Amino acid sequence: MATRALTQCVRSLTRSSTRLFQGSVIARSSSALLFSNDRSFSVIGCTQRTRGIEQSRISQLSRQYGGLPPLTIEAITERVMYVLKLYDKINPENLKASSHFMKDLGLDSLDQVEIIMAMEDEFGFEIPDAAAEKLMTPAEIVQFIADKKDVYE
Amino acid sequence: MSSVTRAEVLSLYRRIFRIARSWQAQSALQHDTDTERRYIVQEAQTLFRQNQQLTEQESIKKCLDECNARIEIGLHYRNPYPRPTYLPPMGLATQKGRKFRGQQKLRKQAKPVYLQSHDDDT
Repeated sequence: MATRALTQCVRSLTRSSTRLFQGSVIARSSSALLFSNDRSFSVIGCTQRTRGIEQSRISQLSRQYGGLPPLTIEAITERVMYVLKLYDKINPENLKASSHFMKDLGLDSLDQVEIIMAMEDEFGFEIPDAAAEKLMTPAEIVQFIADKKDVYE
Repeated sequence: MSSVTRAEVLSLYRRIFRIARSWQAQSALQHDTDTERRYIVQEAQTLFRQNQQLTEQESIKKCLDECNARIEIGLHYRNPYPRPTYLPPMGLATQKGRKFRGQQKLRKQAKPVYLQSHDDDT
């Protein structure tokens, strides 16, 4: 039972590693590692079998990268509005895309700094001070983020 | 004597928030890190709001010095709380209370720059 579990582990290891490294180097090295094990006969047989299977699958190899889904203006607007609604000094009923922070919503410059920090946290990139001071409505924030992220130029 | 601009004050405020974002407590416990991050943000919010209405250049400059001092001390000692200080010698009156002017002046003089906004004399 232990060997069966071991073979399953090796099979998944070789499968994922050959997908990444395009070769059976890892399979060979893992089988070499297991050579020192006394109960390794069935295991080596399994690795050779998987090596054969993997080589036939090499033509289907594809690299898989991680990444975020592409941003659209609607998605950015939705996220900005969501963050603003969560802020406790803003009344969610008054909030529109064109509501000015200082004139319509009655916030001051310290609150505006906090809002821009929350936007930085939400979208994961830093906004420089000079530009951040000028962003006074949600529409401007959306425009700025779309410019930075090259969305629907 | 250049005047302190609103931009400088706001950039200090922003700097404190950025420090709070990547703060790690000295004890390396997650619980302490979270508490200290929240403390930094709250302390900045309260003290900035408390001193929001000041108009004289000297007092604004003093507050900026206090802010810078607390940032430097906090970053150096990895501890966001203000360092406590001793009372000056002969700084507290007898059992009758803290009414003597000379001693009040002495205490006010002995208060370090990073404790200026805190009102300990209740």
